[in-house]
Amino acid sequence: MARLTPGSVDEAQALLAEGGRRVLFVGGGTAMPPGPPVDLEVATGKLNRVVEYAPADQVVTVECGVTLAQLQTELGKNGQRLALDPPQPEKATLGGIVASNSFGPLRTRYGSVRDLIIGVSIVRADGTRAKGGGKVVKTVAGFDLPKLMCGSWGTLAFIATATFRVHPVPEQTLTLCARGGDPLELVRRVRGMQLEPAAMMAVREPGGWDVYLRFEGFGAGVRAQRDKLRDLEESRWPAPETGAVRVRFGALPSHVSQVAKALGPLRARIEWLPTLGVGVASCASVDPSALQGARRELMALGGWLVADGDWGPAPASLPLQRSVKERLDPGGLLAPGRFLA
Amino acid sequence: MKQETPGATQAELKQPAGPLPDPLVSRFAAVVGDAYCIHEPAQLRTYESDGLASFRVTPGVVVLPASTEEVVACVKLAREARLPIVARGSGTGLSGGALPVPGCVLIGLSRMRRILEVDYDNAFIRVQPGVINLDVSKHIGPQGWYYAPDPSSQSVCSIGGNVAENSGGAHCLKYGFTVNHTLGMRMVLHDGSVVDIGGPVPDAPGYDLAGVIVGSEGLLGIVTEVVLRILRKPEATRTLFATFPSNTEAANAVSAIIASGIVPAAIEMMDTLAIAAAKAATGVDWPDVDSALLMDVDGVTEECEHTSAVAVELARKAGALEIRVPRDAAERELMWKGRKSAFAAVGRIARNYLVQDGVIPRSEIARVLQEIAQLGERFGLRVANVFHAGDGNLHPLVLFDGRDPAEEKKAEEMSGEILRICLKHGGSITGEHGVGADKAPYMGEMFTEQDLETMQLVRCAFDPAGSFNPGKVFPSPRLCGDKPGLYQPHPTELSGEAWRA
Repeated sequence: MARLTPGSVDEAQALLAEGGRRVLFVGGGTAMPPGPPVDLEVATGKLNRVVEYAPADQVVTVECGVTLAQLQTELGKNGQRLALDPPQPEKATLGGIVASNSFGPLRTRYGSVRDLIIGVSIVRADGTRAKGGGKVVKTVAGFDLPKLMCGSWGTLAFIATATFRVHPVPEQTLTLCARGGDPLELVRRVRGMQLEPAAMMAVREPGGWDVYLRFEGFGAGVRAQRDKLRDLEESRWPAPETGAVRVRFGALPSHVSQVAKALGPLRARIEWLPTLGVGVASCASVDPSALQGARRELMALGGWLVADGDWGPAPASLPLQRSVKERLDPGGLLAPGRFLA
Repeated sequence: MKQETPGATQAELKQPAGPLPDPLVSRFAAVVGDAYCIHEPAQLRTYESDGLASFRVTPGVVVLPASTEEVVACVKLAREARLPIVARGSGTGLSGGALPVPGCVLIGLSRMRRILEVDYDNAFIRVQPGVINLDVSKHIGPQGWYYAPDPSSQSVCSIGGNVAENSGGAHCLKYGFTVNHTLGMRMVLHDGSVVDIGGPVPDAPGYDLAGVIVGSEGLLGIVTEVVLRILRKPEATRTLFATFPSNTEAANAVSAIIASGIVPAAIEMMDTLAIAAAKAATGVDWPDVDSALLMDVDGVTEECEHTSAVAVELARKAGALEIRVPRDAAERELMWKGRKSAFAAVGRIARNYLVQDGVIPRSEIARVLQEIAQLGERFGLRVANVFHAGDGNLHPLVLFDGRDPAEEKKAEEMSGEILRICLKHGGSITGEHGVGADKAPYMGEMFTEQDLETMQLVRCAFDPAGSFNPGKVFPSPRLCGDKPGLYQPHPTELSGEAWRA
């Protein structure tokens, strides 16, 4: 297997245009699922330029190999940020974040990468270059190729560049914690009081849930919200999980107690976004039968679980998913054996 | 390797010019009921255009199904008869997205207007596609919730149409568009199969097909159920109305407000003609000025007080003539009514108008408005501007007198030039109205052959025969005479199957 590191999108395009090889695109390696061997790995480390940044328009275009930390440094010079906070920003690349639909607690307010990406340029398996979306925050011209790339795990095309909407860095930030809190009750309370946390995350510790809320914005609003939750203590935002195995899962927010029960046998640290119903369980190693058991329970609730290249049973829309894959990558060359395709 | 594109097979679809033969009509009637199968020529005319009334095509038959099962049966019948299918919601679209194809089966979804499920803990609502946008917010409003996307036509437009067009609205600046609030859908595919995509639980394994379906303008299938995200109402909203000596000062105020770190819920801009029209139509007591901004901030009360005070200060510094804050909810509502009725109001100051929907980088607003004004002088036409300044989504209304064919042609030509200005500044030909039939000829100026071919591949994955809404979005290969620029008679117009008003 060869591993090549193209120095430009043109070079990456040329590699694909040669054709006939099974290819895997490699970014920071923070979310790469295992899979069968390929003929060529295309590493994106040298595609690390910020292509265009218009602070007044709050729009930035980057090559796929730019790391999240590198981009945030650049945006920070203008008091702006990309409102995405997946783990390992020093390593995680924007191309990889798009491909793996990685997220962090800021998803509570700003949504996931699909809600922040506004344009993309791609190289198809046969070397054809194409783009979708644009570099303005609002466009509905043509099919939404940027969203199709989100969570596509490198199976549809090479994501060469991506354009994002960025946001101002908040003036003030404050974290509160409800130790031993009930995530669902706290969500109801926050909504009842019309508070607007930028991030809300429940962390499952042996004793139960600790629920963290982060308020951001101008000082007046942050203080006012803090004053309405007098019973909660100020806290640091919890350090990100560090387990070797990351299991992603989803379920309805109201099923939080069943989720805790279903995931119990994994003996993992659980992070759960209680307003949205997605989470990550992380641990040093995982017992396969415990994993299958947890998946069965979540699926019975209408949820799902994905672990390390094991995507679980096919969704009802599989024929349509396959059809999209076959049209864009008819030879099945891109990231073979990974994802549903 | 060139794969088949819908355009190639589209030509094989039968497209009879007139109404369908009786035996076929009877089969559709057997599915939806006689009362909901429209085939009399006079009645078919009701459906010959959408909100873009300058394009008219008579459908072969109109069916109004009441359920997913009936939609399935209609799609299967149409497929068997090799007839193109066009879906239609309330018909308020401004790009001809629901314009019939000659002889098509037009599937109107207005009877499918039930709200199926509301779940506050999980923040979603499940609705049928014919539900009216505003009715969603009305339904959940008493509990203190709302649905964010608010197209100006929200009191009549349907959720299904919103999903097809990825509709926006004034408050999308902070809250996003239809796509950001659509969690999933049930869809009838070309072969009559039904598929559920996405749903209230996010991120289930698979491609983000919901993200592609929203905004696909009816080319991929027929959505018969939608799961929407709903939001708790913000604690407070503060509105301000500011007038300026010219668009330049107003645009500078917008830039200053955004640069200060404020994310307004909406910032709308109106120029002289739009202000005059809104006054004439709604009775708002706005002064006669060259430019005005209407802005909302919302959220936690203290945050709103702070950001609205900062915004007032920044508007003053940018040269505001006068700043008004509504005294009560009624006055606020009137201000917004003035804005939202602006398109219709322009009818009071001009016999006809063409509305464009181009997008430009926000920082270019003042410059681009100047270029558009110069264009107006060159063409000898008046232009009213009323638009979403916060996200650079222009709505220039080119005014003309339709009784003068030469003037109408000039107006069309000028509208095309406006789109080219948007593209020149790195923008888009449409921010929220969709490409439809109207702007398909301009797609080739925004996208390369390869871009469009890639999008066609996605279309082929859903609808290999190209039977859904053919001729929309893509500059159709079958009508390759369609060139951007000057209006050319469409082949169907020459054959008498379609005509312009």
